[in-house]
Amino acid sequence: MEKSTIVCRCEEINIDEIEIAIKNGAQEFDDIKRLTRCGMGTCQSKICMNLVRKIISEKLNKPLGEIAPSKMRMPLKVTRLSALTKNIDLCIEEKATLEEGEQTSV
Amino acid sequence: MSKRYDIVIIGSGVIGSSIAYHLSESQQEEVLVIDKGFPLSGTSGSTQAWVWVHSKAPASYGELSMFSAELYPILEKKIGDVEYKRTGGISPFFSESEREKALMLAEKQATVGIPIEVLSQEEVLSREPALSPNIVGATYSPIDGNVNPFRLVELFIRAAKKNNVEFSFYTSVTSILKKNGLFEIETEKGGKYTAKKIIFAGGPWMKELASLIDIKVPVKQVRGQILITEPLTNLIKHTIAGMRQADNGEVLIGYSLEEVGYDRRTTLDIIQNTAQMAIDYIPSLANANIVRAFSGIRVIPEDELPIIGEIPNVENAYISVMHSGITLSPIIGTLMAELLLHGDTSIDLQQYSLSRFDK
Amino acid sequence: MVKIKTDILIIGSGPAGLNAAYTAASHGANVIIVDEAITIGGQLKQQTQILNNLPGEFNSQRGFSLVDDFYERLKSLPITFLLRHTMIGIYKNNSIGVTNGKETFPITYKKLIIATGAAEEATIFPGWTLPGVMTIGAAQILLNREHVLPGNEAIILGFNEFSLEVGKQLESCGVNIKAIVAKGNYDVELFHEAKNVGIRVVSNATIISATGVNEVEKVVLNIDGIEEEHMVDLVCIGNRLSPILEAFEILSCQLAYQEDLGGLFPKYYNSLETTNTSVYVAGNAAGITNIGGILITGEIAAWNALYSLELLEYSQFKNRSRALWEQLYRIEESQVFKARIAAIKETYKDESLALPPFVELLLEEC
Repeated sequence: MEKSTIVCRCEEINIDEIEIAIKNGAQEFDDIKRLTRCGMGTCQSKICMNLVRKIISEKLNKPLGEIAPSKMRMPLKVTRLSALTKNIDLCIEEKATLEEGEQTSV
Repeated sequence: MSKRYDIVIIGSGVIGSSIAYHLSESQQEEVLVIDKGFPLSGTSGSTQAWVWVHSKAPASYGELSMFSAELYPILEKKIGDVEYKRTGGISPFFSESEREKALMLAEKQATVGIPIEVLSQEEVLSREPALSPNIVGATYSPIDGNVNPFRLVELFIRAAKKNNVEFSFYTSVTSILKKNGLFEIETEKGGKYTAKKIIFAGGPWMKELASLIDIKVPVKQVRGQILITEPLTNLIKHTIAGMRQADNGEVLIGYSLEEVGYDRRTTLDIIQNTAQMAIDYIPSLANANIVRAFSGIRVIPEDELPIIGEIPNVENAYISVMHSGITLSPIIGTLMAELLLHGDTSIDLQQYSLSRFDK
Repeated sequence: MVKIKTDILIIGSGPAGLNAAYTAASHGANVIIVDEAITIGGQLKQQTQILNNLPGEFNSQRGFSLVDDFYERLKSLPITFLLRHTMIGIYKNNSIGVTNGKETFPITYKKLIIATGAAEEATIFPGWTLPGVMTIGAAQILLNREHVLPGNEAIILGFNEFSLEVGKQLESCGVNIKAIVAKGNYDVELFHEAKNVGIRVVSNATIISATGVNEVEKVVLNIDGIEEEHMVDLVCIGNRLSPILEAFEILSCQLAYQEDLGGLFPKYYNSLETTNTSVYVAGNAAGITNIGGILITGEIAAWNALYSLELLEYSQFKNRSRALWEQLYRIEESQVFKARIAAIKETYKDESLALPPFVELLLEEC
């Protein structure tokens, strides 16, 4: 297939970019994600994950079952900040200590 | 047969990769970098990537951070565009009583030449109109900024490779023995390497790594969770209080510090708390969508200052571990290369020595 | 607002979730069912074809009418429907976070059944991101639920029971199906079925590209080495399904892989409990199967959840469990059932637990 064929439509990442990442040593979906942004867009890899896993499996000659899926993260759906904070007291037993700055207290 | 190198670096995060690159500039030594995972799979790939100077204390640490920030434009000329932006940093406060502290910080940092202004409410809001009117003031410094950590680490590695540094990813080190003045390194995959010098740059995994040579490194692992919004039109100009806006419009928000070991899961309660904090700072973010959250395990030395330099009592072994790896990577790479190639550094690293914990 | 608690919380109101809800609620459990859609039924809602392969207690009927059937069964039972609600995360202590887009709140459960179904896999080729290229399921939703014609001239990529069924539905609404593209070998029976309704199936064929200015206008196929061009405004991708895993992943359920179950899926025991205690899986999320298998696994998950809540007598539990597994054995395609039992065996092995005699028996049966 043409190397310019898009794999991740959210971030417009093509086969070539994925194959280069694999050449540079990437072995998992998340390795490729960090190098290329593949799977980081709105759909959060729902569409491209298995496509990329398949490419890795073929390139590295590894069974598909051994290629880990992308690490899923909360929130599982795109959510408005105000919807996350509306009932915050009901959701959270104790408020976490949060700090501004470069996450450092120095 | 084991492969021989002059220098082996363990850890290919932003610190290990920067040291490798800076060492490679002289092209004198054969260098290998080993990482148990893949670049950016650890701390360096899960950060907001601030290049943050202004509130770093003591002032000498602030100064080191400032020198590093000053190196970024030069670094970009050498390794390529890492999307370094000197946005200026704003650290707001919500009560008048904090103004006193802000003025003291400005005074202290001025002694080493870090420019800080203490802004009134009007000044803050005119610089950054999206901020909440509940803010009563802020410290501001033009020296702060941010960078794309993915580009940064990738380009460090690419530049180092070009200068013949070798990298071995997905390679866990299982043992390090010193024989006849050489380090013998064995890996899980069965690889064997010898090195004249060894550098530990293992970030949050430093404790386990250093235990391979029976050295104690007093660091803790701290989880930070970061939210990412959908791309928004220009909302935030500066690097502010727990958040920044990336080139593609996404706003990154993070305030949490949790000591939960290596657990890298995100949790909904922290996500909600963080969302609340974001709205407290920038009310209009209430209408923005969160696309995802991620977490990273940061490494924080016990006294919160970097640990850099020779490892006491183990000749030719070196360490580089710190919380602010992104901010400091250009200067740490430079200084470590000086130390390994010339035995001396242009900035005195005595206060960052591992030996300070012996007392 | 008060804290919401329930015996059994079900995520997904497709056939598996509905049958789980029916089973649970009719045996004394309080049930909450969460679904992000406006109405119950999941993918059943747009199935206008007659569903065979239903378990004995259901009459053969069309998908949407089965949803109505469920609605009648469920309306008098102690079930709370939270439609237009989505599970977005978890808290500590058996509690999940749900949002309706305006607010987020926790629901505490004793048992959680996840029946989030399956997703259609994508296929890539040059031009697949053009408007007019969509999954066959999306075309069916447009047609049967939105009552919108997805196009006029169509190519379907992938030849299977479902793609042929939707192809027929599209044709009956006036869409011209130029060809269904089959990769390699295909089911002969299915081929005759296509032939009988006048749909052309091309075998040993792949798509080379789809092109067009702002939407798809032309596709080029490679049929046994010969290129063929078609002017089309619709390309439907009829690929296989794979279980939707997000909820399991954030619940730290371990995953396993079985080609015949659709790829990665959450590991489970014969109770359909995952490696996260009190979290069960049902329906296509537990491995891609037919409608009968989807319904039965819904009941199996609920039945085991009920028993662990001590809402069933042992003998009652045991007898029905056996009956359900035997029913599943008869109704599911044998390779799916085999893969399922093999997967269960692996779970016991991985957790260093002895295989229950009943599972051994099932193993022997297949």
